[in-house]
Amino acid sequence: MTSVAERPKPFVLPEYCKGCGRCISSCTKACITMGTEINPVTGLVPIVLDLSRCNGCGLCFEACPEPYGLRPQGEEAAFELVDPSTVLGPRPYAAPQPEPWPDTSVPLPEREPLIVKGTYAAAVGAVLAGCRHVFGYPITPSTEGAELMAKVLPELSGVFVQAVSEVATVNMMYGAGGAGKRCMTFTSSPGFSLMLEGISYMIGAEIPAVFVNVMRGGPGLGNIGPEQADIKLVCRGLGHGNTHAIVLAPATPQEMLDIAMLSFELAFKYRNPVVIVGDGYLGQMTGKVRLPRQMTEPGIPEWAVFGDRSHRGNLMCSLDLSEVGLEQHNVRLNEKYAQMTAEEQRADLYRCDDAEILIVACNTPAQLAKGAIKELQDKGLKVGLFRPITLWPFPIEALLTVLDRVERLVIVEASSGQLEDELRLALSHAEVHAPPPMSHVRRMGGILPSQDEIVEHVLGLEEVR
Amino acid sequence: MSTSVFYRQFERHANGEGINAHSTTYCPGCGHGLVQKFLAEAIDELGVQDRTVLVSPVGCSVFSYYYFDVGNTQAAHGRAPAVAIGHKTANPDSIVICYQGDGDLASIGLAEIVSTAQLGIPVTVIFVNNAIYGMTGGQMAPTTLIGQRTTTTPKGRTTLAGQPLKMAELISGLDGPVFVERVALFDNRRRTHAKRSIKKALELQVAGTGFSFVEVLSECPVHLGLEPEAAEEWVSDNMVPIFPLGVKKDATEGIAFPVIPTATFDPATTLSAVGATTERPPRFAEDFPAHIDPEDISFKLAGSGGDGAQTAAMILTRSAINEGFDSTHIPSYGPESRGGTSYADVHVALKEVMSPAAPRPHVLVAFNTPSLAKFGPTVRPGGMVIYDSSVINGRVEGLADRVRTVAVPFTGVASELGAALVKNVVALGALQGATNVFPTETFLTAIRATLKQKCAMIPINEEAFKMGSKLASEQVG
Repeated sequence: MTSVAERPKPFVLPEYCKGCGRCISSCTKACITMGTEINPVTGLVPIVLDLSRCNGCGLCFEACPEPYGLRPQGEEAAFELVDPSTVLGPRPYAAPQPEPWPDTSVPLPEREPLIVKGTYAAAVGAVLAGCRHVFGYPITPSTEGAELMAKVLPELSGVFVQAVSEVATVNMMYGAGGAGKRCMTFTSSPGFSLMLEGISYMIGAEIPAVFVNVMRGGPGLGNIGPEQADIKLVCRGLGHGNTHAIVLAPATPQEMLDIAMLSFELAFKYRNPVVIVGDGYLGQMTGKVRLPRQMTEPGIPEWAVFGDRSHRGNLMCSLDLSEVGLEQHNVRLNEKYAQMTAEEQRADLYRCDDAEILIVACNTPAQLAKGAIKELQDKGLKVGLFRPITLWPFPIEALLTVLDRVERLVIVEASSGQLEDELRLALSHAEVHAPPPMSHVRRMGGILPSQDEIVEHVLGLEEVR
Repeated sequence: MSTSVFYRQFERHANGEGINAHSTTYCPGCGHGLVQKFLAEAIDELGVQDRTVLVSPVGCSVFSYYYFDVGNTQAAHGRAPAVAIGHKTANPDSIVICYQGDGDLASIGLAEIVSTAQLGIPVTVIFVNNAIYGMTGGQMAPTTLIGQRTTTTPKGRTTLAGQPLKMAELISGLDGPVFVERVALFDNRRRTHAKRSIKKALELQVAGTGFSFVEVLSECPVHLGLEPEAAEEWVSDNMVPIFPLGVKKDATEGIAFPVIPTATFDPATTLSAVGATTERPPRFAEDFPAHIDPEDISFKLAGSGGDGAQTAAMILTRSAINEGFDSTHIPSYGPESRGGTSYADVHVALKEVMSPAAPRPHVLVAFNTPSLAKFGPTVRPGGMVIYDSSVINGRVEGLADRVRTVAVPFTGVASELGAALVKNVVALGALQGATNVFPTETFLTAIRATLKQKCAMIPINEEAFKMGSKLASEQVG
């Protein structure tokens, strides 16, 4: 037997031939011709083989664009249109079921409190939550997060990549989060706008990640002063499609750490991005931050595309050409949102027990309101603070527990009423159609409402005068 | 020829029913099928199927995950190289491949491909250039030839729409890539070579060498309006003169991309990296300084940028926290903070700071006249104003009832010490001497901790603090 004779000659199942004819010119022996009959299954005209002159050179295999088009003889048995699964035989590589690779909780020894800025505290929280992958693009007033991570992560053999843009940043997170790693970014309003496309993809593909948006003055380039004018964006506008993500609004450096840790748990629990919104004031505020007594060493979830044998069968994808399939996917996503709404509402109620006037505020304005409340209580007024910690889902259930006694709602915010809109929407969904009268203290353009403005507003209310 | 890297049945393609289970979505004669076959064979021959992550683009090859039995990620339009960085850094052992068309890579994704190539991270990019937008229906691509008719250049591309973009040349001009080649598919010889080139590009990633890029001139018979064979000729006759074939860069000798680290979760290392310590700072204060306020004292330190108000405020905060109280410091924002001015608000609370702002401070430290004029009147009755008498002359006006003033020449004292920079520490000393908020040792401990990296500066700072303290306490009596 000669070596030439050992080389396999081609065969083709007409159903898998699209009749492109690229093999015809590849054959030096003119074995291949275009057919003349339309294949009834495909509606295409497949090629015809006459192998009497074939020397098994194999060039036609490399000219055929179809994976199951021209194939070496001997593999015929592997192809049966009717029921391929029964004749394909064992695979050389079978993607196994992913093996469990769980997170572990690592106890930490006691340490003295840190004295750090809010942004720094969020970074420390992320590190303790097991985040070792941070991607970012510098933007004031969030740069300290990236700077700190660039310093700290190499000490932990982690990765900080400064991306070419926020668009690239969010897509790096799509890759690393899709690989099952805990990743995050620090950004500010204009940068967050650029990330929205990617966030929509992440929600669609169910990829977890944590975004810290230190909100600044807008619209457009605006300025670098503190504003809360991204509330609409994070609660209602996370890119295209039916999207939602849990949105957390810390108010102190300590809460920046605690919420950063919580965010990773929530992101992975729901396989969904989580957004932390802060303001420049909070990011810059130095305070005492106590460290937790445990940290997380994350595993790799079963769904991840990690790039190993165990996870080979997985896919990260937001594409579904079937309308029915995509609607089902949306239904499932909305079930997740419903679960978040039911289980993840968080709020801080400060002196609400007998409050007749209830201030609603989040982030630093909530802290300023606490200062104002102290002054007002010294004047004998019954004023409390309702502070949403989750802006989405809005913690309406906690609000309803105190709303009966309240004669006036005062919404304090550094935006044109975006928090108030969330409040009104939540009341409406809760069928509260006659809420207490509302008024507001609003500043915009990079200015927070001041303690004095809150005090003056409350003292000017008709309920008080 | 035959590879197990393709799924035995394309279950993601129309649920794997009928002929869809074994045929691609590509039009007859499309080059994508060939490139993907060569890629699958290379993955197979290198034995990296289990480790491979294929990043599918947006475009005709968006459905690559229907076919490749590897880890699959579908990326947003143009962003595959950024997604690839995410995957590669998440698992440096994975083999990450971006498969992109000309619209995806050379138009919308230019920033991502250029920056990833320049980074040089070991990922492999297969760039399929067929000079036209396929999936959207035959519009102009960045690589469309001059004169070529498309649906958005109905009379043929003119230079008014720019020249075709030569990506292999552009990428090869960067420092990051180790291997860049342009290949084609239009005859046996080119196909054999294309296969070899794709395998080499992948091999370089497996070896950890660096970023590799293969541009493949490909046929789109449908949108060229040509039979597949004629499309092959069109590529050969029209594309090759503009997009010359060949190796554009081969810098693989002796090069290796730095090892991407694998993260550590050792608790001690982690705590140390974030600056946590077991060292409990010594306490010197017997009690909360209730002689100023029973539970929450606010300070404002105001000056120009460079006066060091923020550093002084930081040391005050650290001192309070070291004594076991709560404290916050914020650099002031708002319209009044423009123009190089620098104001800091500090709270010291027995239990918890509520509002971090200091609209009515107990104590104002003013470094210049405008700061004193602006904030002097905000100091609450019974409070205190401490100011730099070296630069502030004349009467201090508009103060509330019972506000005491303490004049200390911050600048003068610092100059005498020969270090103008320490005037903020003189001010801090004056604050201590005038208010006795905490003992001197509390502040000196915090100053030493702040200057840990600049030990040589500690004596002069201690001296500055003590002089400020002395001058102030003499005035208060």
